[in-house]
Amino acid sequence: MTATQERVRPDNAAGVTELVARCDAAGQKVCIVGGNTLEGMGFPPEREDVTLDMTALAGIVANERADLTIAARAGTPLRDVATLLAAQGQFVPFDAPQPHYATIGGTLAAGWLGPRRHLYGRVREYVIGSAIVLADGTIAHAGGMVVKNVAGYDMSRLYVGSFGTLGVLLQANFKTALLSPHARVFLAPLPEHTRERACAQLAALPIRPASAFWIEGFHNAVDGEDGAEGRILVSLEGSDALLERATRDLRSALGRAGVPDTHVVDAGAREAFERVVDAYVACLGERSITYRLFPFPDESARCARRLRELAGHFALHAESIVDVMNGDVVLRISDLDARALGSKIENFDDALHDAEPRAAVVAGKHSHRPFLRVWGEAPAAVDRMRALKRRFDPNGTLNPGRFVGGI
Amino acid sequence: MQTHLVMLVKDAAVFRSESTTMLRERLIEALGVEAVKTAPEDLAVYAFDAYTDGAPPSAVVLPASTRDVSAVVKIAREFGEPIVARGAGTGLCGGAVATAGGIVLSFARMNRILELDERNRRARVQPGVINLDLSRHVAASGLFYAPDPSSQKISTIGGNIATNAGGPHCLSYGTTVNHVLALEVVDHRGEVFTTSIDDAGYDLTAALVGSEGTLGVVTSAWLRLLAFPEAVRVWVAAFGDIDSASEAVSAIIGAGIVPTALEMMDSVITRAVEAAFAAGYPTDAGAVLLVEHAGVEEDVAAAETSIHAIVSQHGARSWRSARTAAERAALWAGRKGAAGATGRIAPNYYTQDVCVPRSRLPQALRAVESAAAENAVTVGNVFHAGDGNLHPLLMYDKRERKQVAAVVETGNAILQCAIDLGGTISGEHGIGWEKRDAMTRIYSTADLATMGRVRDVFDPARALNPEKIFPNGSRCPEVAPP
Ligand SMILES: Cc1cc2nc3c(=O)[nH]c(=O)nc-3n(C[C@H](O)[C@H](O)[C@H](O)COP(=O)(O)OP(=O)(O)OC[C@H]3O[C@@H](n4cnc5c(N)ncnc54)[C@H](O)[C@@H]3O)c2cc1C
Repeated sequence: MTATQERVRPDNAAGVTELVARCDAAGQKVCIVGGNTLEGMGFPPEREDVTLDMTALAGIVANERADLTIAARAGTPLRDVATLLAAQGQFVPFDAPQPHYATIGGTLAAGWLGPRRHLYGRVREYVIGSAIVLADGTIAHAGGMVVKNVAGYDMSRLYVGSFGTLGVLLQANFKTALLSPHARVFLAPLPEHTRERACAQLAALPIRPASAFWIEGFHNAVDGEDGAEGRILVSLEGSDALLERATRDLRSALGRAGVPDTHVVDAGAREAFERVVDAYVACLGERSITYRLFPFPDESARCARRLRELAGHFALHAESIVDVMNGDVVLRISDLDARALGSKIENFDDALHDAEPRAAVVAGKHSHRPFLRVWGEAPAAVDRMRALKRRFDPNGTLNPGRFVGGI
Repeated sequence: MQTHLVMLVKDAAVFRSESTTMLRERLIEALGVEAVKTAPEDLAVYAFDAYTDGAPPSAVVLPASTRDVSAVVKIAREFGEPIVARGAGTGLCGGAVATAGGIVLSFARMNRILELDERNRRARVQPGVINLDLSRHVAASGLFYAPDPSSQKISTIGGNIATNAGGPHCLSYGTTVNHVLALEVVDHRGEVFTTSIDDAGYDLTAALVGSEGTLGVVTSAWLRLLAFPEAVRVWVAAFGDIDSASEAVSAIIGAGIVPTALEMMDSVITRAVEAAFAAGYPTDAGAVLLVEHAGVEEDVAAAETSIHAIVSQHGARSWRSARTAAERAALWAGRKGAAGATGRIAPNYYTQDVCVPRSRLPQALRAVESAAAENAVTVGNVFHAGDGNLHPLLMYDKRERKQVAAVVETGNAILQCAIDLGGTISGEHGIGWEKRDAMTRIYSTADLATMGRVRDVFDPARALNPEKIFPNGSRCPEVAPP
């Protein structure tokens, strides 16, 4: 890694195209940053000559309220889009951490998968159009402002999750979903013996919760205080009538699982949900590393338990969030200080990947992070991915080395 | 651009070179004589899809396994023959027909459901499985496969994946791409690779879905299944004319209500449907809306109240709720059989497929009406109104040259009108051979070249379904094979 030579913050598309074209021609490497909220994902860049800060290229380009579509510049914070849409009863389920800072471009590039996707779908399903700057400085558009479109390859979907290695996203167009009028959150302690049964009961509810988490640790992040060890947080969304029935169902399901008492939060329900999502990438200074895994829902509770035990073998502290509805497991590993973590984390990383080859790092400021398998095991089609990168960015100008398989 | 309604049918008995004979011998050697068709009358059967007559291929092969597919692709490569994958041939844009020789890979024998994982609600299927067969197969487990193109009784999962097929229920459930979890694909060299939406790295699954057989041949897929909703209700609202019905559609969406399905049919269609199926649609209405809402009881009941109020405000003359499952099924059967029912009006029909922003629906439908009137073409509208996805059916007799010309003219005018309204040239049927030259009307050279880069990686020699999607002569000079 060399020190950054230059930081550029263009506020228009031409600024981006000129910069990228110039760097590509001069063999300079460009690193693209949005709100820096997911900086703990991916490898550090191989080289960074220019930092391209996208946050000035912000704002809503089109808000077609009656069509249920919206278009925004890549640097627009998620919160701005959400606020505008909420005022007209709509939303896009980004569900990414720190929405005040997280940008549209960064969230799409990282392919962020939110906890409500089992109900509302992945964000990529909402992307209906895009504009991107390729490494040679050309602008390419894809899709448009219609909700169904099969004219050629769906390039926009390919850009989602491409980690800024195929091009610099300038704009994205979305279809929107309808915001539920009401949200409610349930909090309950989850004693050891009730855990797996409670997860199974939650997954089988006739009215699907918008999200359901089994959380161990993360006290300050989620509750703002210390508390009992395990607990669940379930959020419901929908009409009044729906919430009433769902509340009854949920209470009796948890009762059957032996969960002692539930605490209902109506005011501040959405905020409580957002705090959990923020916790996915919350760091304990330089003494934590957070992994994310994607087992099937019926395996996730067991997977989380196994991984906590594994951490125990290394005398590492483990905290976990199980996303009951999708099956994701978030695992934060920490120690008393950065040195202590550093002495164990590489061995732990090996053991973790022996058990769960696909575990990926999503957060951590520790200097050992680059030496971990941050993307997990390489996917079967990694050679084709490399070929795609070469064809889009032959000089390796954009975000070099940050992605899967050294892309 | 020209909308080519009728391709030149090449004579199936054209002189076949020695190399074609050798090719056929090699294919028979590899897959057995039952799996290879070469007789002119057999080949002629594969020279069609639901859009056009194409040219007969050099051979038709019916693989039984992924290994067979891979062997065929390798042989084709040796002989420099292109590969055209084919499902049921219900495609509406010439996608599955060969344009100049080539080997058609028909998946009729690869039609097994390989695995059902009930707990995680997914199934692994071969590409030749018929869409509706999958839903029937998993119904006993309380599950269904959501994408439901009107052709679902015959079209295949492979074809649905290749076209990213939509259908009435895609309004709420999304199109095919939202339901594909992983793919097994044979590439242009005959090598097998797999992709999954859970893989780290580029979302190759998303790139492959909708690529119309130009990036690889799909040999199996993991698909997402959904659990049956608790409540389903279907309503029919009748209007005096198309205009008020389309205003009602825009108003429903604009009011923030997205039903599970929201379909429109005009009187030309409802009359044909009633004559054919007696499905239960009023025949004296200028247009009807078929509305379905599924979900939990409370939401369905609330949706009924709001939708009923909106359609009444927009002049609905009647509102009927299907009382039984049989009534619902009859209404849907009529809707999905609508295109076929037009056989009573004219011997042939051409389906245009465009999509506009939903609030532009009334304007788009007026434009369809005037384009048809100007060219003296009978038009019937039956379409996915909630998505803004129009399907004007233009009726004609293909033996009458003047009628053919008038239909081409009308189809073109509709295409242009959709573009002018900020829409696209295909909402769900695909580009195929039919609309490839129209791609330049919505995309710049740079936009198309970007898609071409993906093609360069997956099919550098343009051996997979050549002459589809990309405009004639648009081949990128640079090639970087993987
Ligand atoms: C009456 C009628 C109603 C229809 N309604 C709808 C509708 O509601 N929604 C909709 O979206 N479409 C509809 N269609 C169009 C058509 O049915 C769809 O495009 C369908 O997905 C095609 O499936 P198929 O099996 O017939 O494929 P084919 O027509 O055989 O092939 C279509 C394309 O897929 C490619 N292909 C096929 N199999 C594979 C494979 N295994 N690997 C790679 N490529 C492959 C072919 O090369 C071709 O490009 C309708 C058609 C008809 C005739």
